[in-house]
Amino acid sequence: MSRLDPRRWPSALADRLSPRTVRNLRSEFRSSGLAKLGVALVTAAVLMAVFAPIIAPWNPTAQDRDSAQEPPLGFGYTETQVKPGEDGGVVNETVRVNASVAHPLGTDGLGRDMASRVVYGARTSLIVGISGTLLAMLVGVPVGLISGYYKGRLDDALMRTADVSLAFPSLVLAIALVGLFGQAAVSVPDPLVVTGVAAAIRGAVSLPGGLTYPTGMPETFTLPGTVILVVGIVNWVWFARVARGEALGVSEEAYVTASRALGGSDRHVIARHVLPNSTTPILVLATIQVAAIILLESALSFLAFSGATLSWGFDIAQGRQYQTTAWWIAAMPGLAIVLTVIGVNLVGDWLRDALDPDIEGEGGGV
Amino acid sequence: MASFGRFLARRTAQGLFVIFGVVTVVFALRYVTPGSPVDFIAPLDASQATRRRIADARGLDDPLWLQYVTYIGDLLQGEMGYSYRSRTAVAPRVFAKLPATLELAVAATVVAVALSIPLGVVSATRRHALPDKAATLFSLLGISTPNFWLGVMLVIIFAVQFDVFPTSARPVGFLETLGNLLVVAADGPMISTSWPLVHLDRLVLAAPLDAAGFLADGRTWVAHLFLPAVTLGTYFTALITRLTRSGMLEQLGSGYIRAARAKGLPEALVRYRHALRNTLIPVITVVGLQLGTLIGGAVITEAVFSWPGLGTLVIDAINNREWPLIQGCLVVIGTGFVVVNIAVDALYARLNPQVME
Repeated sequence: MSRLDPRRWPSALADRLSPRTVRNLRSEFRSSGLAKLGVALVTAAVLMAVFAPIIAPWNPTAQDRDSAQEPPLGFGYTETQVKPGEDGGVVNETVRVNASVAHPLGTDGLGRDMASRVVYGARTSLIVGISGTLLAMLVGVPVGLISGYYKGRLDDALMRTADVSLAFPSLVLAIALVGLFGQAAVSVPDPLVVTGVAAAIRGAVSLPGGLTYPTGMPETFTLPGTVILVVGIVNWVWFARVARGEALGVSEEAYVTASRALGGSDRHVIARHVLPNSTTPILVLATIQVAAIILLESALSFLAFSGATLSWGFDIAQGRQYQTTAWWIAAMPGLAIVLTVIGVNLVGDWLRDALDPDIEGEGGGV
Repeated sequence: MASFGRFLARRTAQGLFVIFGVVTVVFALRYVTPGSPVDFIAPLDASQATRRRIADARGLDDPLWLQYVTYIGDLLQGEMGYSYRSRTAVAPRVFAKLPATLELAVAATVVAVALSIPLGVVSATRRHALPDKAATLFSLLGISTPNFWLGVMLVIIFAVQFDVFPTSARPVGFLETLGNLLVVAADGPMISTSWPLVHLDRLVLAAPLDAAGFLADGRTWVAHLFLPAVTLGTYFTALITRLTRSGMLEQLGSGYIRAARAKGLPEALVRYRHALRNTLIPVITVVGLQLGTLIGGAVITEAVFSWPGLGTLVIDAINNREWPLIQGCLVVIGTGFVVVNIAVDALYARLNPQVME
């Protein structure tokens, strides 16, 4: 089994996690408040995504017309409504629109609970962000390593391909691919719900003040399949460029020449020397890419190209229809995106400062 | 200087190759996606014979290589085919949308450069002071905020709540605004297909000059452009602020700056003449690399503000599967990206001749 085999990547990564690296990560984490904030934000997003059916106060898809467009806690307001009077004329009536503890982030136009939708939206964002990045890495890193190691014609051909790929803005390319290939959304059973774990935990919780904690949560979760593929395809170039740059540098090192002189095959040299010495910048790039892909996914959902209906971007698009009456419908999911992406970016900064690879902050955003 | 010419020639050759690749990908895209164009042209109840006639007339049954050669031949003559639905030529429709998108992109770039470089410099020269902290926080927020959400929130705050700016649309463009003062003379169009391509001499002052109309249109134009430009420009302001700050810090800590200070040069000269200049060189490369993000950002900004540019056109075209229109938009976007990138590289080479080797 070759070390280029993706199944061996974790061990290749572990090789790089020398005691010194771990020490650097730890001391940088201790001294940097921003690193702590980043880890806290990312942890919060991951917890929301994994335990959504337990954390969400309501079923995110349950509609309740009676409590539509309820404002978030602390944003209750009074408005003047024109109503028909008894003598056939009109009267102005002052109405108090109250916020309720039951819907801390308010409700949307169909009376669905915004807090629950924000919690569930974390799933779509993180699943697409992480699996899209892994896919981009799986395609980009081997191409980059081979390109940088062999140089010459092959390198030229691969890098010109990368140039062509870069000439299409990632959002435009992603819209075109998803729009043309269709939105293959896969319904996946939610393990916490189908095993009854979520219902058991929710049933055991008793809330004060007559608040309910409903147990019927969605049994399946929709994975935007095409979107994951497309964001992976669209972003491979960045990994190829960074891996190539590293490979170009490493392949000039004396130890590579030595390894080759001792009869090491190209595969051996790439796997044993070039890849392990490139992991740090690739890791840092991967963090930046998770942030970029979360932004890309939200843009696709906003434009209704992703097929996901429980997604932060999708909810912002919904909120636009209520922009004159209920600002929170667009505001809440957007804040969730901003906080998550800030978290991922801060973790990226932490890794970069602790591991100190020579890498530019590239990778794009939306 | 000869080497600069050679550099430019090499970059142009590479650029042509990339454009060729773009065209090939765009052509291939139609054949790898499901569905035949005939399905979109023919009426639902069309007979086999009608479908065959449609396919024949458009060469859809020709061998792939012949269709490819024909496509490239047409493109070289500025011909992008006809829309399936409206039966109108694609090329004029695509080019008619260019000014709106360019206005947005240029305005956003102006906003970004005008704000970010001073911010980055202040941030670096007064490190850890309040302005630095504010600028760092702003740039972190800026690179983490999805621009379409920023656009929606700006509309809610400044158009809906406070009614300072209009919510969307572009009732008047820059060229129409300018049209109050300058008009094209009657003896021919300003842009022609034969040499010289642009006839600046055909541009004459309007008689009578409509100064009031110019001011009114100008105000409308700026009012509608403001929120979209801020929406699109924020990410770049944040990005360039970050780059300028870290670049300045690196330069200010280097040997030649210490030497310049030691020989008693005024601090302003050291900072702006020496450090800032060397900082901006790498900033230009990254900005060039991010042009794709700018164009992609323009697409979604246009969607938020119903801005009638290339972005709105390409989204409509994809939703309607209007292949000639999709291909036209993608070719123009890809070519535009390559051309601007060559310009950025040329600028970079003038500033830092080392890259030409």
